[in-house]
Amino acid sequence: MFFGVLLIFLYAPIAVLVIFSFNDSLLVSLPLSGFTTKWYRLLLDNEELTSSLQVSLVIAGISSVVAVGLGVLASYALVRRRVPGKGAASALLLSPLVIPYVVFGIALLILFQSLDDFLIPRFGFYFGFGVHTIVIGHVVVSIPYTILTIMPRLEKLGVAVEEAAHDLGGSSVSTFRRVTLPLLTPSVISAYLIAFTLSFDEYAIASFVAGDVSTYPLFLYGQVRIRIGLPQMIAISVIVLVLSLVFVIGVEAWRRHAEQRLGMQPVV
Amino acid sequence: MLWLILFFIVPIFIVAAYSVGLLSLLPSDAGVSFFAWKRLLEWDAVYLQLFRKSIWMALEVSVIVVVLAYPVGYFLALVVGRRRYILLLLIIAPFLTSYLLRVLAWRLILGAEGVVNSLLVTIGAREAGDPIQWLIYSRFTVILVLVYVWVPFVALPIFVTLENLDRSLLEAGSDLGASRVRTFLRVTLPLSLPGVAAAFTFVFIPTIGEFITPSLVGGTKGTMYGNAISELFLKGSNWETGSVLALFLVIVVAVLMLVLGRFVQVRNVEAI
Repeated sequence: MFFGVLLIFLYAPIAVLVIFSFNDSLLVSLPLSGFTTKWYRLLLDNEELTSSLQVSLVIAGISSVVAVGLGVLASYALVRRRVPGKGAASALLLSPLVIPYVVFGIALLILFQSLDDFLIPRFGFYFGFGVHTIVIGHVVVSIPYTILTIMPRLEKLGVAVEEAAHDLGGSSVSTFRRVTLPLLTPSVISAYLIAFTLSFDEYAIASFVAGDVSTYPLFLYGQVRIRIGLPQMIAISVIVLVLSLVFVIGVEAWRRHAEQRLGMQPVV
Repeated sequence: MLWLILFFIVPIFIVAAYSVGLLSLLPSDAGVSFFAWKRLLEWDAVYLQLFRKSIWMALEVSVIVVVLAYPVGYFLALVVGRRRYILLLLIIAPFLTSYLLRVLAWRLILGAEGVVNSLLVTIGAREAGDPIQWLIYSRFTVILVLVYVWVPFVALPIFVTLENLDRSLLEAGSDLGASRVRTFLRVTLPLSLPGVAAAFTFVFIPTIGEFITPSLVGGTKGTMYGNAISELFLKGSNWETGSVLALFLVIVVAVLMLVLGRFVQVRNVEAI
């Protein structure tokens, strides 16, 4: 019963957002003022909003691909290879999990600023702040999550299948491509989704290294204090939340199903 | 083989690069840097107080989160049968959506003209224009919202820890005549403690430096240490003091990790 209460508590704020996105009023107050979809329609005209959404989609897309790629490689190296200093290496790779984002954000800020200070007088060009810096930041904080998603599955897969492929004459690379990777697909997709939503929603690091660029969370944060913009922000929030909920639950459920069909035991 | 080592180095290199960024937190002028440190430790008792407040708040949040999440994990791992993973997914899904939006939702709910207060006005429990003040822009708000955000996250490792417990040990307890409560207190709880401690660490440490939630719903009373750092960098241009504060936080975090790190092995972390 506690469980049920908690579940309601967890989803209540989201439900509130949904309700008020259809509310015909600039205020988020009771009593409700009447049903309308105008806030959703106004969204399409809001250029700042749509461009920030695009930016975030691009950043999330790029950073999640990179993070998953690196995560797969790192997981493989950690699980399958005898690398000296494995403990230290895995601690280093997972360290972003416990570094407060504020510290990481300013560290990146200082790093890129110092880089620019170094480059500009000597070479006349600069690295600058923008999409690329945000992507770098997001990749680093996403890597621990991708590793944590892929590594357990890789461990549980067991060496047997890969050794069999080797015995049948496959090289390391082709074994990886044709045997390991397909078996990892559900986890890889999960990892991709986690990295994507992480990046899409990420405010802290972006706030430090974005430069002039406006990502969706940055834009939203800025809009929070403006009364007129509020219902639109609620509307877009609802869209994002519902979409991501559907995606997350859908993909995870699919992943379970796919893994079961592949004959694998559940990790989680 | 060589390929893999190469590709393995790349992620480490990236992570190391940001550590370099961390190191460059030390201002280059040695004389100035010591001056800045002195300021932190004596004059700016303000900052130290803020730090202590943040640690205390992080502690409160982490404890409440673990206390709330444990029953959830227990229920799912040891009580529910086949549906457990679906329910688990339902619990975790909000966490995987959007942090920012969930904080904003609370801002709307608790605000002076927000859902809660306007509801009270509508049913006549309060006068219009006399909202409950402490709901928003206070320390309470920050703690409430952070708990809300973190509980789904913590439910997972606790669930995994409990699920991986050797059931025969639990059965042995009741076979030997212990009641369910005693079995829980004497067997289940102690066995699950390492996993719980790991989960606690993963909430506690990042929360110390938390600044987004305080800035949105904390007001002046709910400000935290992270806000000070962020403002010194973004609003003032006082990178020096900001760096010192940040480095201080890093040192404290490092020490905490060493102390609590006994519980945080990769095994436990995998669950997350």
